[in-house]
Amino acid sequence: MSRRILAAVLVALAASGCGMCGRGVPPASPDVVAVMRASVPADPNDPAWAGAPVHTASLLLQDLVEPRLMTPSTAAVRVRAITDGTRVAFRLDWDDLTADDRPTAGHFVDACAIQVPIESAADLPAPQMGELEKSVEITYWRASWQAMVDGRGDAITDLFPNATVDHYPFDAASLPPGTAEQQAMASRYAPARALGNPMAGPRSSPVQNLVAHGPGTLEPGPSTDSSGHGRRLADGWAVVIARRLPAGVGPGGRGQIAFAVWEGSHDEAGARKMRTGWVTLVVEAAR
Amino acid sequence: MARVYNWQIGRDMSYWYPESRPKRQFAAIFDTNKCIACQTCTLACKTTWTSGKGQEFMLWNNVETKPYGFYPVGWDVKLLGELGPQTWTQGAYDGRTIFEAARPGERALGWLPTDIDYANPNLGEDDCLGQVDGGAMFSLPHMSWFFYLARICNHCTYPACLASCPRASIYKRPEDGIVLLDQSRCRGYQECVKACPYKKVYYNAMTGTSEKCIACFPKFEMGLQPQCFVNCIGKIRLAGYVSTPDAARPENPIDYLVHVRKIALPLFPQFGLEPNVYYIPPVHVPAPFLRQLFGPGVVEAIAAYRNAATDLDLSGLLGLFGSTEQVVTSWRREGEVTIGRNDRGVEVVRTPLREPVHIRAAFDPEYAVARTNCP
Repeated sequence: MSRRILAAVLVALAASGCGMCGRGVPPASPDVVAVMRASVPADPNDPAWAGAPVHTASLLLQDLVEPRLMTPSTAAVRVRAITDGTRVAFRLDWDDLTADDRPTAGHFVDACAIQVPIESAADLPAPQMGELEKSVEITYWRASWQAMVDGRGDAITDLFPNATVDHYPFDAASLPPGTAEQQAMASRYAPARALGNPMAGPRSSPVQNLVAHGPGTLEPGPSTDSSGHGRRLADGWAVVIARRLPAGVGPGGRGQIAFAVWEGSHDEAGARKMRTGWVTLVVEAAR
Repeated sequence: MARVYNWQIGRDMSYWYPESRPKRQFAAIFDTNKCIACQTCTLACKTTWTSGKGQEFMLWNNVETKPYGFYPVGWDVKLLGELGPQTWTQGAYDGRTIFEAARPGERALGWLPTDIDYANPNLGEDDCLGQVDGGAMFSLPHMSWFFYLARICNHCTYPACLASCPRASIYKRPEDGIVLLDQSRCRGYQECVKACPYKKVYYNAMTGTSEKCIACFPKFEMGLQPQCFVNCIGKIRLAGYVSTPDAARPENPIDYLVHVRKIALPLFPQFGLEPNVYYIPPVHVPAPFLRQLFGPGVVEAIAAYRNAATDLDLSGLLGLFGSTEQVVTSWRREGEVTIGRNDRGVEVVRTPLREPVHIRAAFDPEYAVARTNCP
């Protein structure tokens, strides 16, 4: 009799998706469910994440447009979400045994991104970066930017500790550090920075807002309301990306979201990535 | 892929975009026989454009010793190995270009250098291919050989960097064919670095973008030759415009040497990019090696070049190299003088066919000193 009761309890727990709640592991979820809380956590270490259900999204090769990724790398990304009714934070976890945060010649960095339709409509954009007149918003986190935010300097020796440089023109004795003339000279030899290219650093945020209407159309987004924070774990990354709730997706509503992960040690950058299709995003109703 | 015509390989080929030639095409001729690898060109470029953070290893212009010099390491032999043996038949290329040999998922056949490949810019400097048998000190004529290959971006008609960029951050200017990389648009994917067979696009780790030779376009727009040309103390370089063979104008210095006399040849035409820096091949290097570098016309080119001393038009035009900062777009020899004119038809330089010779007495009676013999 007691064995039958125990079995029934186990079946009930499994059916509820809460089989491991008792051990502090968040419940699994078929959708990305943003649970309602008073505030959205900014840090992957925030204890609030323990109560958010986990959606495990399988990752697919981006093998539709050149340049394609031909061999798979990261298999899945585990996603949790918390909203305060206005903003939503996603915590992305994935396995990655190599920490790649130094973008140098022939070396790429770990990164991840979330993507939502720019407008709420029944007719969804293509999940591969959207399409013409059906744009998507993307928030992109990059391990090298996180390293800068966490204190990595802006000198070549921060990437190559043994590097020595005889002289830079902007270090000339006639140009006192910090003066307009000195800054102008530094910009002269860093055209991407002079033009305000967000890739060019140094950066104060590890994430970037982007919009796209198809492969190859990525542009900086008009708003900068996203934030992020990534932490290196023993065997992977945990990254929080927070932004406003997607257009037309309020408390109690549903929308769509997609994810992408770049594995630096697998030479992934740009179109060479692992990505998901659209995943349903469920936002809990306000309490 | 589109089908385009590449006159350097004598046939149509596949390319990522349809054929769209600029109104005029920036071009250059380098006379390898005159280069002494002093690297003045390299420093002229470095000082002008690449002295910033993240540009420490960046050499838009470099001079390497062939056959064992490379920058980055093995840039050419690695790709030749990937491409495998290919053949030419009667001036037309039978083999595959890097676009036609692209692997699945790629736009061009290429390879991506890493940091260490840029760490030895003078690798192989002055190394010879031939063996010095038995420790011989000297036994002329040459038992061994090497030569200096000065390199910049080729501002190709069919650039692999441009074809490979998924963001269309690289463009070819319609007015002069100069290939530029938009520093506001690049996101540092390094696809261009991987695809350029000449490895003349460099990744800047400090700005997160890739950068390349700009042919000193601010100068070129003013009718002036780039910095690496005008600072060349060996006077090996001439900048201008090249036409397609059917539109060649003999009065255009570049057209005359490339199309009329055919003594200046493209570097690795078999890669399929229709590069626009043309080389007068070194006269002392074995033809099989030169054919691999410059295509099938090397023997004829060298024969014509060797005859320049008695070929007054040829020697006259070669005398214009390094004679003026201005871009000479037309030339004419009048007796013992060669005249160069700029785009507006204004005479900008006049060079003699033979430098005047002055013979001075060995002893200077005015100062009562013997003169040093300084050729």
